[in-house]
Amino acid sequence: MSREPPAADHVLALTLKAGAYTAFALIVAGLILQLVTPLGPRVITAGVVVLLATPVLRIIVAGIQFLRERDTRYALVSLGVLSIVILAYCLGIQA
Amino acid sequence: MLLTAIGFFAGGFGALAGVGGGIIITPLLAIYFGVPIHQAIGISLLSVIATSTATSSQYVEHHVTDVRLGMTLELATTVGALIAALVAHHVDRRTLALLFCCFLAYTSASLVRKAWGSRRQQGEAAIPDYTIQNYPLGLGASLVAGGFSGLLGIGGGPIKVPVMYLFMKVPLRVATATSNFMIGVTAATSAYIYWGRGDINVTLAAPLVAGVFAGSLLGARLAPKVRGFYILTLLIGVTGWLAGQMIYKLVTGGFR
Repeated sequence: MSREPPAADHVLALTLKAGAYTAFALIVAGLILQLVTPLGPRVITAGVVVLLATPVLRIIVAGIQFLRERDTRYALVSLGVLSIVILAYCLGIQA
Repeated sequence: MLLTAIGFFAGGFGALAGVGGGIIITPLLAIYFGVPIHQAIGISLLSVIATSTATSSQYVEHHVTDVRLGMTLELATTVGALIAALVAHHVDRRTLALLFCCFLAYTSASLVRKAWGSRRQQGEAAIPDYTIQNYPLGLGASLVAGGFSGLLGIGGGPIKVPVMYLFMKVPLRVATATSNFMIGVTAATSAYIYWGRGDINVTLAAPLVAGVFAGSLLGARLAPKVRGFYILTLLIGVTGWLAGQMIYKLVTGGFR
């Protein structure tokens, strides 16, 4: 089994890092803001939404990387994981 | 404030010792903050996603994570997490608490083993070549780990890592990093269900998650420089203590 070329790993790491720092910044900003404005809780919720969306984003990014490497098998695996997560999301909305 | 501090320590220790913060956060919220256990689990799922996202970027960047293996096993962890999250709502609190106790005890035991092994830790050696074996067993274990994750709000690393290491013949560092990579997606799957049910209290979660983020980011940076042995010993104490407290509360009729 071959390991990814560095470029793919780099893009994936960047996605995770961006998601982590954005969610962290929004939540901290919201926590501070809620002391002064009623907007705080909304900013916090936005941070939590980014947090919840990052794993999905990283499945999509990984899937695209596999496609670019013409690795159809793992692109399909990513698609499979993505569909299960989307199913969970739809069931969650219904609940 | 207190919640942020707890999150910070849970995230920090989690990143340093290679376990998700969930194992500490659920019992703390349930025992000391009187948070209903389903809500404690929902909040804990958020911190698991935070730990995974914050720490796994580093392992991915340094090519320690096996992304293909992680993605494959996620097929099973997400299914387990989805089913468990749907079922969790119908499981009563005492049963969940009891299951959690068992898992805490199991984690303490696996940490003892890890601490024993880390006495003579070799430095950051290069990752040897490996051929992955035994996919069916790995997928089965991942299904179980995903189930526990959705049911108890934990990552499930203590189940997956030994299976990947011992049976799939994946080097330990790769197994740990890959498990860490997977738990974000796994926890997100069940978090959607908990979110839909209103079991994720954002007001309560926010300070905790902020702490977890700060702790994991710092922990992931410090990890190569800190002797794992002392952190593991401390964590064994904490998980052991929490298991004891939960058993005490169960016996005396808490978690109704």
